[in-house]
Amino acid sequence: MTFWGVVGAFGTRRAYLKKDMDTSNAGYIGSMIGAATGPVGLIALWLKTPETRKSLLVVPPIAAFALLAISFAFADPSNSCVTNGSFVASQISNGIILGILYGFMALGLTLIYSILGVVSFAHGDFYMIGGMAAYYVTMVWFPGVNPLFGIGFACVSTFILGAVFERIFLTPMYDGRIDRPVEYGILVTFGLAFTLQYFIAATVGSNPVKAKRYFDFPRLHWPSKEDPWLLKTRRGGLELFDTITISNPRFTAAVVCIIVLLMLLYFLHRTWTGKALRAVSLDREAAAITGINPNRMNMLAFALGGMLAALAGALLVQAFSWLPQVGAIPAMRSFVIIVLGGLGSLPGAFVGGIIVGLVESAGTGCIPDPQKAASYIPAYGGIVLLLTLLLRPTGLFGRRFSGGSHGKFG
Amino acid sequence: MINLVVKDLKKNFGGLHVLKGVSFEINGPELIGLIGPNGAGKTTLTNVLDGAIKPNSGTVYLGGNRIDQLQPFEVARHGLGRTFQVTRSFRRMTVLENLMVPALALDQGLSRSEIDDKAMEVLEFLTVEHLRNEYAKSLSGGQQKLLELGRLLMLNPDVIILDEPFAGVHPKLMEIIYKYIERVNNDGTAIILISHQMDSIFSLCKRLLVLNYGDLIADGTPDVVKNDPTVIEAYLGSDDEED
Amino acid sequence: MSKQQVPLIVGVIIISFLMIFPFVYTANNYPYVMHIMIAGFFYAILTSSWSMLAGYGGQFSFGHMGFTGIGAYTTALFCHYIYLSPEATNICTEFSVGSQYLVIVNPIGITSSTLVQDCLREAMSIWDGSVKVTPMPVWLGIILGIAMGGLFGLLIGLLVLPLRAAYLALFTLGFTEILRAVISSELDITRGQAGLELPKLFENGITIFGRHFDKTDPLPPYFVMLFLLFFCLGVLYWLAQSKFGLFIRALREDQDAAAALGVNTTKYKIMLFVITSMMAAAAGAFFAHYIGIISPNNLMILQMSLVVSMAVIAGIENIFAAAIGAIIIEFTLETLRTSFDVPLIGVEVDMTVWRLVIFGALLMITLRLSRNGIIAPIINYFLRGHVADETVAKRKVSDSSEESA
Repeated sequence: MTFWGVVGAFGTRRAYLKKDMDTSNAGYIGSMIGAATGPVGLIALWLKTPETRKSLLVVPPIAAFALLAISFAFADPSNSCVTNGSFVASQISNGIILGILYGFMALGLTLIYSILGVVSFAHGDFYMIGGMAAYYVTMVWFPGVNPLFGIGFACVSTFILGAVFERIFLTPMYDGRIDRPVEYGILVTFGLAFTLQYFIAATVGSNPVKAKRYFDFPRLHWPSKEDPWLLKTRRGGLELFDTITISNPRFTAAVVCIIVLLMLLYFLHRTWTGKALRAVSLDREAAAITGINPNRMNMLAFALGGMLAALAGALLVQAFSWLPQVGAIPAMRSFVIIVLGGLGSLPGAFVGGIIVGLVESAGTGCIPDPQKAASYIPAYGGIVLLLTLLLRPTGLFGRRFSGGSHGKFG
Repeated sequence: MINLVVKDLKKNFGGLHVLKGVSFEINGPELIGLIGPNGAGKTTLTNVLDGAIKPNSGTVYLGGNRIDQLQPFEVARHGLGRTFQVTRSFRRMTVLENLMVPALALDQGLSRSEIDDKAMEVLEFLTVEHLRNEYAKSLSGGQQKLLELGRLLMLNPDVIILDEPFAGVHPKLMEIIYKYIERVNNDGTAIILISHQMDSIFSLCKRLLVLNYGDLIADGTPDVVKNDPTVIEAYLGSDDEED
Repeated sequence: MSKQQVPLIVGVIIISFLMIFPFVYTANNYPYVMHIMIAGFFYAILTSSWSMLAGYGGQFSFGHMGFTGIGAYTTALFCHYIYLSPEATNICTEFSVGSQYLVIVNPIGITSSTLVQDCLREAMSIWDGSVKVTPMPVWLGIILGIAMGGLFGLLIGLLVLPLRAAYLALFTLGFTEILRAVISSELDITRGQAGLELPKLFENGITIFGRHFDKTDPLPPYFVMLFLLFFCLGVLYWLAQSKFGLFIRALREDQDAAAALGVNTTKYKIMLFVITSMMAAAAGAFFAHYIGIISPNNLMILQMSLVVSMAVIAGIENIFAAAIGAIIIEFTLETLRTSFDVPLIGVEVDMTVWRLVIFGALLMITLRLSRNGIIAPIINYFLRGHVADETVAKRKVSDSSEESA
């Protein structure tokens, strides 16, 4: 399967070139058809070389994925992913919940990219700071305070941090004083990440901290107390259909994320500032002509992006224990997601997040050796990242090509 | 003997036919103007000739060698040089280093000092020899344009394509570029000049090619082209559309 | 003495200082200082080769540490699993090579050292000392490591050809992550986080000029690393001065324009990746043998950030600046591993963590204020300081000649 995928990736480009057709998606289609159908589909593809259509972009990867799943089922029939339906259901729901959180965090990163053309390497550290801020407010400084204050404090502080950082360190990028703005952006956010991480390590120390559960579920049994097959809640979690259990912190986090996401969508599509932001992301110069100050938008985007990461952190500090280094893995995951979704694409980030969430939960749940599965998680992301960049650098929803002049400021 | 044969070049971007079968021939060191309204396909034609874009069909021969399927660097080594519409100097390299790149890439067996001499000669001709050790980015826009023209000379090309050399250039500089074009042409290099400045084109070129929406609609002396009804129609018609 | 000669003279002074340093330095912390110096050379090789890749060539790769890991793990696995034996063990996978047998030891994972023995140990306990098994030579492992680094460099170079800027950075980051995940997961073979032990650079000691150094003496590895650094800098300098250096800078500035001027951009980009990865792999292989143990933590993003930051702070577009900067920064970071009490308020400040905060802030500030780092502009001042005067003088001459004409 891998072999035919590779053959497809290279051969198809050649076949399309020979017929003088658009090759931008040929490698991607070829590898997916090769992986799904082997030589049969490939030869047909090479002979017919159909025009790139939506269906060609969507169907083969699904088929390839299905084939992978089926072959997995046959190879390991006793695996609980194959035999145990409820296990699968709870893995899927877990994957979706995690995916929402992942997507939410990646949203901030892709927002920054779409406006500034910079991949922020400090994103994971905004996430970490958000969690730390929420922990300190709710547990250390004002124990017993409403957790909303903690979350609010996390958002406000990171928003200010992002805005100040942007004003001081990113402004030289905009007026052509810097020859390679993309690389400058990467390096300077890298420096910020370094500084923040060790600053927290130096002030807080490196013992793990964890916030208390923000709020308890009321006890619910539905449809009846005796037979709550539809919904049953405990203080720390809930159970759907007797099979799917979701822990309270994750559930709360996902719900808040969805609410904030809706607010964000409203902001982007219904308010002047939001529309201005989108305008700048589409065409900087044209937006500037219409009276939008693009540099102001840069600041807003960077601060907002950092804040979204911090919000994710503030929501998850009640679920995971928090360390200064906690941001590294989510940061890497966000990179994977935004590349998968297409750099700069907001819906892409969210869909990408859910896909990555599902893949990770499938990976942890289904691979026989749990220890290996856990340590291979970063590799799944890496593989998704590499494959996307090689086969379809624009990602699922991307609009700019990787060789393009993104990050150029007029 | 310089001989560029372009035969039935076609190029589509998706459903858009940008070149619909362009054919022409250049024999000897001609000075040819390539004109046409915006979107006529002039830059695409340049990119296809240069190898940056592969044509969908058609052939290009330069001096008997087929060049339409080659990489840009191979095309350059076969003797076709081009400038870009937007000046693209190597900004953080010195002026001299900018000129060294094509000379060394060509590998003509010249020694470093011979290349140096040649580069100095080119710089003197372009009146920027005092800047040779400055970084290209510290040059003015016009000087960068001259630098780009200088780089082309180091390539020893048979054919050069100048994409809008007069855009945004002040009169004194214009004079230097005029002199450059004349000298290079007299030295035996064919030049394809793309410009929107009709007076320059008409005063310099003895032959004009007119592109309109991917078709070569006229090929002849300026006088003939000026009075060609299809050309007038194309220019006036497109003006109407633009307005 | 003209200004242009200053960097040369300083360079000669630094080289002679490094050459005689181990002989004149006799303080108590001699082994510790020597260790820092060796680590400094290691980082210097990495930063200078990375500055060639990123500074000259414009390829912002975050995979440099990955190549270091490939070099180190190749030689580690080679020395760990392959032995030469005069007799067949009949249990291991083995091939006869001349009169010897090349024995490939079966991987037994981490828990094995006492309970389970690998096949070679088993065979040896049967032979009971009657057969002498020789490990593979360290230098062969190192050569293999360098070759493997070059091979992966070629692969990555080919794959990243169409990728630019941020995409390249993310791709190489993903590559390192995969590598690290694989190494930490394949416990059976790589021993994961427990680390893989390697023989020392000179396992049996070495005798130079009639003086014997045993395997823990820091002097031989000091000079090995120093000469490796000199060698790498020499190669990099030669490359930077040759047309290779000119072309990769041209392709950094404008790939399309370089191609239109006849530069085979593909070839030079791949060459750049291969050469710099081989250097990273060489540094990794030598350093791993010096340290004696390697674990996937060496591939952490932190390590990469050190290399990147050192290069950026010192000056990314000058290989010598990068090398000097790496040594100085490594030295400073190590000497700052202290804690002190702030007078008056009586708070103890633990510099072990704060030094990295300062380091990060220094990185940001350097970037913000001086795009070309701290050391490179100083070198440039001496080498290019005369250019502006020259330009002005020449312009005057040409102006006056124009007037007179």
